[in-house]
Amino acid sequence: MADDNGSNLAQFKAGLLSDNPVLVQLLGMCPALAVTNSLENALVMGGAATFVVVMSNLITSVLRNLIKPHVRILIFTLTIATFVTLADLFLKAYMFEVSKKLGAFIPLIIVNCMIICRAEVVAIKSGVARSLADAFGIGIGFTLALSIMGCVRELLGSGSLLNIPLFSKEFVDVHAWVIMVLPPGAFLTLGAIIGVVNHLRDRKSGGGA
Amino acid sequence: MSKFINESWLVLVMGIVFATMLAGAQQSLSDRIKENQLRALNEAIAEVVPGTIRSESIEIENEDFKGNVYKCLDDGGKLVGWALDSSGGGFVDKIRLVVGIDPAGENIVGLKVIENVETPGLGNKIQDPEWTGQYIDLDTSREIKVEKRPPNEGANEVQAITGATWSSRYVTDIVNAALPKVRPELDKHR
Amino acid sequence: MEFGVLIGIFISVALVNNLVLSGFLGICPFLGVSRKVDMAFGMGCAVTFVITVSGVVTWLIVHAVLTPVGAAMGDPGALYFLKYVAFIMVIASMVQLVEMYLKKFFPPLYEAFGVFLPLITTNCAILGACLYIDMKPETQSLLNAAVYAFGGGIGFMMAITIMAGIREHISFSDVPKPLRGAGITLLVASILALAFMGFTGMGK
Repeated sequence: MADDNGSNLAQFKAGLLSDNPVLVQLLGMCPALAVTNSLENALVMGGAATFVVVMSNLITSVLRNLIKPHVRILIFTLTIATFVTLADLFLKAYMFEVSKKLGAFIPLIIVNCMIICRAEVVAIKSGVARSLADAFGIGIGFTLALSIMGCVRELLGSGSLLNIPLFSKEFVDVHAWVIMVLPPGAFLTLGAIIGVVNHLRDRKSGGGA
Repeated sequence: MSKFINESWLVLVMGIVFATMLAGAQQSLSDRIKENQLRALNEAIAEVVPGTIRSESIEIENEDFKGNVYKCLDDGGKLVGWALDSSGGGFVDKIRLVVGIDPAGENIVGLKVIENVETPGLGNKIQDPEWTGQYIDLDTSREIKVEKRPPNEGANEVQAITGATWSSRYVTDIVNAALPKVRPELDKHR
Repeated sequence: MEFGVLIGIFISVALVNNLVLSGFLGICPFLGVSRKVDMAFGMGCAVTFVITVSGVVTWLIVHAVLTPVGAAMGDPGALYFLKYVAFIMVIASMVQLVEMYLKKFFPPLYEAFGVFLPLITTNCAILGACLYIDMKPETQSLLNAAVYAFGGGIGFMMAITIMAGIREHISFSDVPKPLRGAGITLLVASILALAFMGFTGMGK
């Protein structure tokens, strides 16, 4: 059962770009819309989700020969819920302000389709190295997508990045496109970004073939 | 029965292991978490009642008042003021604020909005110290009014935020609702 | 029983704070199942049912099981770390029950739903509604919680059905290729969200 590193790397890169969970597979959209009103929120959410998917894939892969088909969804869900609870406790203890802003979306990582998908599609049938490569790729890809949205929305909506104001308060008061940090702006940003990504993918497959 | 065990022993074992893990994490982190939850409130109290070193929660018997009142003391245990933690509906959703009053209970010495989800850029300007600063020195025995122009000399008024009259009014409503219920009882706790 | 309060809660979660258009919950089915109005409506009904039952059951688990047992152990909040695990198990079971029920009594509907039925488990609107019921002060009574859950489901149904109606029309227009599918749906959702924002302040 030797996984050659070449294909592990490919698995990792896939999760990052060509199979990006949010922008290509269209999974995990709820947090992509909800917590990207600031870059800080986006990064913390991405980090938490990466932690959960890595642990979930790790445990699933290690125990893969013991998990009976009938109970596998139950086991995946149990594992994911446990690690999400751990992440939630950690954030409430050490990053309290951000955890308040993320609100219910940390526990909602449990129903983030991309995590249970990885366990079902990769971890249950692959070795540990492969599963970890996959998990990190997906997790970082997710964080990447969220961060792009976070940058755009925070910059345009609050005139700041990572809570550091980039313009004077008066400029922001007059010019900030406040709608960007509100729901319509979230939908708009994600729709536009997906449009751009699709366009790039079409060009790549049309031109490169 | 043995088929059941055969199928699900892993679930049960994992369940127990995970539950223990979570219980352990909860145990070791819960103190820190509680501390975090109190910190926002304590910082607000120190801000609205200058000179507060520590505060004690006091019981208000008026059942209509659904908030908390704190007796604010300095180093030597001397009364420096009172802090009222009160909430009410805002334009979008709940607003929670802390208003500080002087030891005599007659004037407001500070106000801070600690929780709100009002419209960013408009309603959520109620968080701005420049706006809440208007409440300082207002009389607690009279109703505070919200006007769309700068307050008149000597009147118990604040000026509404342009474009956020409702949010401004809701904040004042919360203060106006809380003060009459709490003032009469302060003497008991001096 | 304050009827006004209940109506307020219902209107608030169905319109003002619509779970999809303002709370960002249930986006995956919102994008995935909103192509045809009858499928969308059916999904909306199924979700409303699961959300209402799950909301009530999770409320009971917190207030009738975790809190009293914790209190007996010395601290009411002692067992709260089990909340998320308990919630998701309840929801998964509810969906399983709905599936079995549909399969037995309404087979054509069951076939029509296909893979979307088990996906209701991962519909964040359901877990989200249960979590909000647990967090909000106004849903601390069973009746309020049930109304909130039901309202949330109805709000979801409204959002997904309106979107389906719009998409059925869009299918006749010439959408630029990169925007087809998710892109245009999100842009339409943006305008819908803007429209629903007009409901702000209605609770007063």
